Amino acid sequence: MYAYDKYDHALVNSRVAEFRDQVERRVKGELTEEEFRPLRLMNGLYLQLHAYMLRVAVPYGTLSADQMRTLAHIARKYDKGYGHFTTRQNIQYNWPKLSDTPDILQELADVEMHAIQTSGNCIRNVTTDQFAGATADEIADPRPYAELIRQWSSFHPEFSFLPRKFKIAITGADIDRAAVKWHDIGLVVKKNDAGEVGFEVLVGGGMGRTPVIAKTIRDFLPEKDLLSYLEAILRVYNEQGRRDNKYKARIKILVDALGADEYARQTEEEWQKIKDLPIDFPAEEAARIKAFFAPPPLQVLEDNVPAVDELAKKNFIFGAWLKNNTNQHKVPGHVNVTISLKPHGGIPGDATAEQMELVAALADEYSQGELRISHEQNLILPHVAKKDLPAIWTDLDEAGLGIPNAGLLTDMIACPGLDYCSLANARSIPLAQELGKRFDDFKRLQDIGPLKIKISGCINSCGHHHAGHIGILGVDRKGEENYQLLLGGSGAEDASKAAILGPGFDENGVIDAIEKVVAVYLGERTDGEEFLATYRRVGPDVFKEAVYGTR
Amino acid sequence: MALVNLTGIQAGDFTVLAEDQTPAEGATVAVPLSRLRDEGDDFFKVAGPVGAVLATDTNYTDLAPLMNKLAFVVIDFPAFGDGRGFSLAVRLRKDLGFKGEIRATGPVIPDQALFLLRAGFDTVEVSDAREAAFKAALKRFDTFYQTDYTGQVSLAHARHGKNQERKAS
Ligand code: HEM
Ligand code: SF4
Repeated sequence: MYAYDKYDHALVNSRVAEFRDQVERRVKGELTEEEFRPLRLMNGLYLQLHAYMLRVAVPYGTLSADQMRTLAHIARKYDKGYGHFTTRQNIQYNWPKLSDTPDILQELADVEMHAIQTSGNCIRNVTTDQFAGATADEIADPRPYAELIRQWSSFHPEFSFLPRKFKIAITGADIDRAAVKWHDIGLVVKKNDAGEVGFEVLVGGGMGRTPVIAKTIRDFLPEKDLLSYLEAILRVYNEQGRRDNKYKARIKILVDALGADEYARQTEEEWQKIKDLPIDFPAEEAARIKAFFAPPPLQVLEDNVPAVDELAKKNFIFGAWLKNNTNQHKVPGHVNVTISLKPHGGIPGDATAEQMELVAALADEYSQGELRISHEQNLILPHVAKKDLPAIWTDLDEAGLGIPNAGLLTDMIACPGLDYCSLANARSIPLAQELGKRFDDFKRLQDIGPLKIKISGCINSCGHHHAGHIGILGVDRKGEENYQLLLGGSGAEDASKAAILGPGFDENGVIDAIEKVVAVYLGERTDGEEFLATYRRVGPDVFKEAVYGTR
Repeated sequence: MALVNLTGIQAGDFTVLAEDQTPAEGATVAVPLSRLRDEGDDFFKVAGPVGAVLATDTNYTDLAPLMNKLAFVVIDFPAFGDGRGFSLAVRLRKDLGFKGEIRATGPVIPDQALFLLRAGFDTVEVSDAREAAFKAALKRFDTFYQTDYTGQVSLAHARHGKNQERKAS
């Protein structure tokens, strides 16, 4: 993991001091709420329906057991004993007191964390694959680049007041677990024929009311040119992105207006002018940062562990967990464990302070003191020896964290919705809870197989409904909460936009509709065919008929 | 109004010319770009040092023909969040090689002081009430992650004693 040097510490500490001063001026009435607003947003502090909300970055989703314990401590001391892990590898606290927030930020700074640029029209927390540096299907660990981008984008003198928020995601694997095609900039680590590392660069992805899948503007950008090329992309956007209408201000709208080829041309033209200036990190700095992410010294172990197989045979839940919640590690005999934060009937992404502490303790014992957060709102123990799985699962299960549903229908993404969010049309959390209860049968879930449901409480799509195999969108219909059903989206390497199936439903109606959609799938699928593949093969009509036919 | 000097430049003391006003002989004047583009050589002969007042949506390429005639530039922010003003200052330094004073006017906020400095601004016009906060904000950070166009080289270089380097290719 990256460790701050004296400069990183100084920067984060100065930022806390600055924010403390701003909060004091606000509390004394020297700053109006209007003047304070942009300042608090730059530090991740939102005003929600009932209270302030603090969004803390977990840069590229990697954190240490000690950092997790601090997150637990903050939840207990300053909040109501829990936190909410989000789709952007952040954690949100829903109930902090304004006057406490400088102390919270100081406690975070002490463990090398911050809330810098977690909101506002700037470059946000860079996100990546939750299995980065640990998964068998990886070309290179993307986290050193994410850290280089984190530093370069922090307090950028030119790009801190963009037309709109700006999100960069990077993956180093062929299987895209970071939804890079749905980001303002997506980076895919590649190797060229000479074996050199570089990036495929995509621009103009985004959700919100105009969902767009990013387009490739460069097939291979050498590693050493990363930052100057990003600077060129951002300069074109900062100068030409629309500022007259915030719904048309994202880079996706500009890329669409100019055309991806023209965007690429302008980027290239600007980049030629700056690429030889000392904008990019020197090789020594890349080496320094990569050293922090050196693979842990794991012993090669036997992939076959009879004790694990025996328990899987005896205990269906453990067997399902073994199948769904583990990912093959680079080093034989090891896996990466997904701890599902989606208990049936619970709030997707929420974890209590006690659960965070348990996970931190497990990380110390079994995963090199390291943890990850996924954009699907789960926690990950990387680098786990397979032989330790029964012990880990038993501990998790006792704390209500042994749910074997990673990647299955109930592993839903849901935004905070009307329970917290002032922009919401409808509630997301109660719907997710009801869905969990309706499908509370692990044999059935296992039979249905991989299926991603994503729920947003309004068109802003914080819950990624455009990228859901099944997406649910909360709308307002004459003052009533109403839910639209979308099918066929994907956030992975085969990214696609989900399409609305037909008229919306109330809460129970939408759950019934999902039952029908699942029934159609089970009837239509060929051997081993997953939901999305079946949908793509048979098209929406059969689903439409099953859901609306009898009306 | 107070003037905060970010770089220690000799700050210009000028009047802004109204649309139809002719400059007094030898006077230091700031003129909206739209008008300046239409003025012939006579205008520049009569006036003393001339500066351009730029809206943030100005395309820097429109300034190229004026470069050897301008003593200073004023970038007028309509709102503090209009980040085009920062890129425009960068363009003036980087693409047009402008060495004169760049001033920010409009509702910029104290917390932007260092961003303005690093984007290439020399001076900022602020309300008297904000002068102290602006000056304090200038002292907040002394380390920077990015190379900019004012001579600051990134921390990534400084960490390795490469404060003067050009990129190795
Ligand atoms: C107080 C609560 C929140 C507010 C007011 C809020 C506001 C918004 C708005 C206005 C947009 C649309 C941006 C645009 O289209 O330009 C958006 C998009 C988004 N938000 Fe939130 N959000 C909130 C909470 C969250 C949470 C909890 C998450 C993570 C779980 C999140 C993740 C996202 C994502 C992933 C997008 C889509 C990005 C895209 O358009 O490409 N937001 N949010
Ligand atoms: S999708 Fe809408 S309701 Fe949900 S958190 Fe985002 S803004 Fe709020």
